[in-house]
Amino acid sequence: MSTPMLEIKDLHVRIEDEGTEILKGVNLVVPRGEVHAIMGRNGSGKSTLSYAISGRDGYEITEGDVLLDGQSILEMEADERAAAGLFLAFQYPIEIPGVATMTFLKAAMNAQRKARGEEELATPEFMKAVRSEASELGIDNDMLKRALNVGFSGGEKKRAEILQMALLKPKMCILDETDSGLDIDALKVVSEGVNTLRGPDRSMLVITHYQRLLNHIVPDRVHVFADGRVVESGDKDLALELESKGYAAFDDKAA
Amino acid sequence: MSIAMPIRLGPAEEALIAQLEGAGAKDAAEALRATGLPNRKLEAYHYTDLKTMLRDVPTANVADGAVTAPKLRIPGAYRVLMANGTASHESTPPNGIIISDESGNALSARDDVLVSMNRGLATSHLKVRLEGSVDPAVHLDYRLSGDARHVATSVLIEVADGATATVVQSFSGSDAAHLGNHGTRIALGKDARLLHIIIDEMEMAARHFHTMEYAIDEKVALTTLGINLGAGLSRTSIFGSFDGGGAHADFSGMNLLDAGQHCDIKLDLTHAVPDTTSTELYKAVVRGDGTSAFQGRIVVAQDAQKTDARMMSQGLMLSDEAQIFTKPELEIYADDVQCGHGATVGDLDENSLFYLMSRGIPKDEAAAILTRAFVQELLDRIEDAELNEALTGMVDEWLVRGDAD
Ligand SMILES: Nc1ncnc2c1ncn2[C@@H]1O[C@H](COP(=O)(O)OP(=O)(O)O)[C@@H](O)[C@H]1O
Ligand SMILES: [Mg+2]
Repeated sequence: MSTPMLEIKDLHVRIEDEGTEILKGVNLVVPRGEVHAIMGRNGSGKSTLSYAISGRDGYEITEGDVLLDGQSILEMEADERAAAGLFLAFQYPIEIPGVATMTFLKAAMNAQRKARGEEELATPEFMKAVRSEASELGIDNDMLKRALNVGFSGGEKKRAEILQMALLKPKMCILDETDSGLDIDALKVVSEGVNTLRGPDRSMLVITHYQRLLNHIVPDRVHVFADGRVVESGDKDLALELESKGYAAFDDKAA
Repeated sequence: MSIAMPIRLGPAEEALIAQLEGAGAKDAAEALRATGLPNRKLEAYHYTDLKTMLRDVPTANVADGAVTAPKLRIPGAYRVLMANGTASHESTPPNGIIISDESGNALSARDDVLVSMNRGLATSHLKVRLEGSVDPAVHLDYRLSGDARHVATSVLIEVADGATATVVQSFSGSDAAHLGNHGTRIALGKDARLLHIIIDEMEMAARHFHTMEYAIDEKVALTTLGINLGAGLSRTSIFGSFDGGGAHADFSGMNLLDAGQHCDIKLDLTHAVPDTTSTELYKAVVRGDGTSAFQGRIVVAQDAQKTDARMMSQGLMLSDEAQIFTKPELEIYADDVQCGHGATVGDLDENSLFYLMSRGIPKDEAAAILTRAFVQELLDRIEDAELNEALTGMVDEWLVRGDAD
């Protein structure tokens, strides 16, 4: 069996300043090339899981390990994890006044290339790459000139996240509630963007609390998340079961 | 009659008095003897106690030919070199720029020791008159060379009625304990438009003092941007008076400070007549144990109805030891006005840092990007591409210097 792209082993996480344990022993394996979904109600710890994997300060890992392509990443800084091929599409992308989206994209792409010992992208090459990916996602030039995420609509923010993912070509993508705040048309555009990025060397973890997204991004496996751990796993039909029975049916398994 | 207690004078004050007397500035010498250098009990110098901070005084104005290399280069600008206080310029000025040496000091008399010393020591001034639509930026390039020296300069910038101009004053020099005491009066005629940029790129050992005085006539459009990133100790005093209706001014500045630096800006504006508007936006970014202070005071006279003045100061602390002081004051004697002030101080936003890092940008670079973003809105005010590039380059260089720490 080949090395999984992402392996989460008995992960326990607490918020540093609070002390309360949020993740209580998460076990999860995402094999190479597969798309897995995590479904769970609000407050069950899905975003906490995505932040802990990406290396956000303040999320203390008290037990367990996270392996990316066979390597433990817990000692790495967030930027090193990104350069190693991890990408998080944020549930709430951060607005950064004073930094043009284009400038940011270039800084991110070049930082990752530098970390991997590759040459910086020449400007025309960079512009070409951005323009073609942007037009696929219905992102116009004007938006790229604006400050990053500032004044973007909910849909624009999510499209901008997928644009970054397309340009950075990560091998492991975590999409945290990428469907929230999207109308049905935007959902289609974003899902298509995600689907074109599926491939044998790229895995995805799609976090959502509605089954709806999974009609567009069809997962290989579905995991139900409750009270800080995975309580049930199955194929894509599990999402439908969850939709009809409701999360409450799975709550007793978390206890 | 009350009998004033004699002030105990330190060696720096004695040296300054001797220099003033030597220059024949008896009044300034007497004034200094009576009060001494200002200490923190004096409100205007609350954050910059010159009595303790100015410990030694270098030799006064000695003319010599040595010049340090230029620091700021502005392509296409018309440059007037102010080497150790003496002005020289390369060629006959382009149309609309009239330069002359005039007797007397350019600043008005004020109850301020730095001003009275400047008036005492600089007994003539350089007058730069700008007429019509002046194409090249005028760059007054002040440089202090060699061993520590005490230099006082005086300049009058006169923007004629209806004229449009850009003036840059930059200060640089050798890394010696210079004491620069500079005075600039900016007289703006009716309908004049001026972009005024003032840059302190002195070295760490230097003490840098600059007093500016703006006289703002009818329908003037004025934009100022001061950038302080050089001298170990600096104090900028800005006095402005709106004396004609329909005028608008945007005053702004940024202090980019490292460990060991102390930079103080005192802004004092008077809206004296009806129907004038202004904004004041001052930003400070402080690394190490640097100290930045901003005191802004806006007075709206009783007659000055319809004044609109918005003052804001923002501080970004890049270390735990950084100190940022801010004290805004509004004194409003008119009733139909729109005035406000605000102040914020904080460190870099953790969410923003994480967002950039999650895209592969290392922490130092992410911090530099966010710091640059903090001052970007001030750089955006500079529409001229070459000037903008020169100033942006200077800010970026400061940011890179931080990474090396
Ligand atoms: N930075 C934080 N500080 C305090 N509590 C937090 C923090 N982040 C998450 N939590 C708490 O952890 C729990 C899980 O939150 P989250 O991971 O955002 O859930 P989900 O993404 O599944 O909605 C919630 O009870 C939330 O209040
Ligand atoms: Mg969440």
